[in-house]
Amino acid sequence: MKTNATDPAFDRQLAEAAAIAAVMRQRREAQARRGRLLKHAFLIAASCVMLYPLFWLLSASVKPENEIFTSLSLWPTVFQFDNYTKGWNALPMSFSVFYINSAIVTGLSVIGNLLSCSFAAYAFARLRFNGRNFFFALMMLTLMIPYHVVLIPQYVEFLKLGWVNTYLPLIVPKFLASDVFFVFLMIQFFRQLPRELDEAAEIDGCSPFKIYWRIILPLSLPAMGTAAIFSFIWIWEDFLGPLIYLNDIKTFTVPLALRLFVDSQGESAFGQMFAMSVTSLVPVIIFFVLFQKLIIRGIATTGMK
Amino acid sequence: MRRFITRNAPGYTFLLPWLIGFFLLTLGPILASLYLSFTKYDMVSAPRWVGWDNYVYMFTRDRRFWKALHVTFSYVALAVPARLIMALAVAMILDKGLRSISLYRAIFYLPSLLGSSIAIAILWRQLFAKDGAVNAVLSFVGIDGPSWITDPNTSLYTLVVLAMWQFGSPMLIFLAGLRSIPKDLYEAAEIDGTPAWRQFTRITLPLLAPVIFFNLVLQTIDAFKTFSSVFIISHGNGAPADSLLFYTVYLFNEAFSFFRMGYASALAWVLLVIIAVFTGLAFLSSKYWVHYENERD
Amino acid sequence: MTKITRRTLLGTMGAAAAASAMSAIPGFAAERTIRHFWWGNPERDKRTFAVIDLFQKHHAGIKVSGETIGWKDYWTKMATQTAGSNMADLIQMDYRYLFEYVHRGALKPLDEYVGKTLMLADFDAAPLSGGKVDGKLYGLNIGSNSQVLVYNNKAFADAGITADVINWTREDFPAICEKITSASGGKMKGSDDLSTSVDIMQVWVRQNGREFYDADGKVTATADDIASFWDYWAQMRKAGVVSGKDRTVVINPPLSETGIVTGGTAISQFWSNQMVGIQALMKDKVGAAMFPHKKDGPYGQYIKPSMFMSLTRDVKDVDAAIAYMNDWVNDPESTQVLGLERGIPCSPKVRAALKPTLSDTEKDAVAFFDAIQDRVGKLPLPEPKGAGEVYELFTRTASEVVLDKIKPAEAAGQFIQDAQDIVDRAR
Repeated sequence: MKTNATDPAFDRQLAEAAAIAAVMRQRREAQARRGRLLKHAFLIAASCVMLYPLFWLLSASVKPENEIFTSLSLWPTVFQFDNYTKGWNALPMSFSVFYINSAIVTGLSVIGNLLSCSFAAYAFARLRFNGRNFFFALMMLTLMIPYHVVLIPQYVEFLKLGWVNTYLPLIVPKFLASDVFFVFLMIQFFRQLPRELDEAAEIDGCSPFKIYWRIILPLSLPAMGTAAIFSFIWIWEDFLGPLIYLNDIKTFTVPLALRLFVDSQGESAFGQMFAMSVTSLVPVIIFFVLFQKLIIRGIATTGMK
Repeated sequence: MRRFITRNAPGYTFLLPWLIGFFLLTLGPILASLYLSFTKYDMVSAPRWVGWDNYVYMFTRDRRFWKALHVTFSYVALAVPARLIMALAVAMILDKGLRSISLYRAIFYLPSLLGSSIAIAILWRQLFAKDGAVNAVLSFVGIDGPSWITDPNTSLYTLVVLAMWQFGSPMLIFLAGLRSIPKDLYEAAEIDGTPAWRQFTRITLPLLAPVIFFNLVLQTIDAFKTFSSVFIISHGNGAPADSLLFYTVYLFNEAFSFFRMGYASALAWVLLVIIAVFTGLAFLSSKYWVHYENERD
Repeated sequence: MTKITRRTLLGTMGAAAAASAMSAIPGFAAERTIRHFWWGNPERDKRTFAVIDLFQKHHAGIKVSGETIGWKDYWTKMATQTAGSNMADLIQMDYRYLFEYVHRGALKPLDEYVGKTLMLADFDAAPLSGGKVDGKLYGLNIGSNSQVLVYNNKAFADAGITADVINWTREDFPAICEKITSASGGKMKGSDDLSTSVDIMQVWVRQNGREFYDADGKVTATADDIASFWDYWAQMRKAGVVSGKDRTVVINPPLSETGIVTGGTAISQFWSNQMVGIQALMKDKVGAAMFPHKKDGPYGQYIKPSMFMSLTRDVKDVDAAIAYMNDWVNDPESTQVLGLERGIPCSPKVRAALKPTLSDTEKDAVAFFDAIQDRVGKLPLPEPKGAGEVYELFTRTASEVVLDKIKPAEAAGQFIQDAQDIVDRAR
């Protein structure tokens, strides 16, 4: 059987086309390489600006107390590494206690946040019910009130419940979708998924819960990853809630403990405070690195049409 | 009736946690603050009803209220666009074709991690001091910079710069949004030979619109409510010469330094109305530029 | 595998949360418990918890729950707890906030316990009476202090200054600042510009023979007092011998940002119990000076309680609380642990016992304190409600003067009027 491949004219054409394509590819690649190089140059320069505070913090964490404010140099005259060991045990409780407390509060809160906020977001974004717009507007309003004026009524409320000096005021609201930021964030992502998905599933007899669990959540991994990262960071770093609700130093979280180092009008231990600040960044960075994979993995799963 | 229930049941079931939280935990304190805004309340003795006095005083006699509004509006107008553009630009650069992207992403998020810690306050005051690093750099190009952070004419800009520099969270959200745009759309456009800027306006912007909208609304609300960073950088009092008297800093001091929780609550409700108006406008405008997949026909 | 670890982790976390939530709930045990809340720093917290341990050892059956946080956050938390009627039984009070809290009915007087369970007989009367409001004792003095100008010894030596820093006058001061500035080639100014300092302004007004407020809460300082004070500093500013305006307009800087610590100036103003904290941030040795007085006039300074311990209206177990208070100021072991950290104790017995244990800086602080004893005036009268806001108004107006936005004379007139308005509004 005669095939095109044996036709010399066609072969020539094919070769020419291939050659042109190759040249073009080479050009494109060269261009892309140049672009990448430029990008990297820009990003590395920008990284230096972004990393400066970290270097500053690292340097301050090993400086002697009387040098932090008197010398602008990033290089300490003496490296005082015992800021770390001393700082860890400088307070009435060792920092291990504060870390465990923070892990409990943050861990439970993040789970609560992701579950309850995605529930509410699913309702607002994909289900129809009477009063949806009304409740959405109400929810957005709660985001707008300055926190400091609800602080006291809220404190009185939790006091009546007998929750003050426990972790409940910090954790329970997270299971009740109190962080409207995340509800709204998830709504925006959920609404971007094609409607045919639920319709098809509904025809197949899927319950709303099944649609939420099997279709919406898996397709929203970038959004969930983002939400996980933010909740972790914000709750880990939250200071005002623990300040108001925790009295006993045994129950303090890391950010609250960090504030015990500094007395703006008296004796402070800045070096140790900075050293402990550095350690408190470690869990956050680890969590960030782990969960940002979810954001990337998004491509593979949402690449469908 | 039964149809009404079956139609609404799933929605309310999923909304239940939020509803419980709202009615049992959130609503009460919010209404309480509304009530307190009509009282004189020093947090020690019981609140005393004063009618509209707080609001009248605010609009007719309180010069610092207007000053605080002015500072806050200037900040919102500068910081929100600056931060959003910065975040989107960086997210676009990071979105495509780089192997070390996750490293950069972590690095670019770092300033936001430090949030409004004491370290940032000290660092910022050192950087923008008369003999600080910023002026050292400027002196290379022959500019003799002011003492940025303590000069009332420039202090606000140092906070705008801080806002720009802590662009991590909107950037990450943009990135998640970009990652959710189906890649085959770009591939198709590539084959059609659509130029890059056209891909941006035809594919990226429309599909990213819900996320842009989200960031716009949330960043605006956040900017109006900016507190921690200013509070810690200005040592809690809006100095120098009230140039950093952000609305919430003023509110906080009225409440907790001067024992005027009633007046502070009134201030809060005025801010709430202002924010609600802006957010409402944003939602109205969104009908024209934000389209959602699940509403597309 | 991952699933199991994750579940186990969650399980442990849940259990731990439950356990700690439980333990955090005040126990139902028959044990008596009192809460003590103070603002602190690592050093103070360590000493205070040690005293709590001592007390619990001496008084079996009473548990003290120590609660602490830094100065700024302390007052936010305090206000919240006050609003919720959940104040600690015993709180640390500041001289400036004492009147605000007493006038609003948040504290209980101690008079009925004095001499019975609270033994204060041999205490210095003057510093003790600083805790009195409207004739009743609302705050137990747990340390005294006074205004102090802290100076850099090395800078003074380098400039060849041998002034008598206790008896120097308003006329001496600018000349000394000039000397320091020129000796350092302008790198180190003589002093911080103190025109925004309420404490120094108050001293200035007292040097002129007046108090800031009278007993009825009327502002008795005159516009001339304030204008002359701002003029005094304006001239030094013009001469370039005090810190520049970019430094001055920073209100309430932390210790770490004051001129003497950063090396920008040779003199900064503090309260005497802060000296140890300042020395810790500095390489050069520091000394203590009085604010220069008006020639042939009064010195204007006064000794005030730096901190009080107060009984709150929410107190549950008064007897236990008073017993704890009493140990704080009398028990030899406890007072030894506390040292001078909160200020100079007003029991002569305690002071004598502490003498051999003092550090160099503490010795300097005590010497300064002894030197000023005969030169200080009476405590100012209790301030009216709204005084805190007047202070803020003062620093704000002073910054505008420093920035040349308004002339001293004009600003002073307006300030006196606005101050009166604030006090009237707070009534």
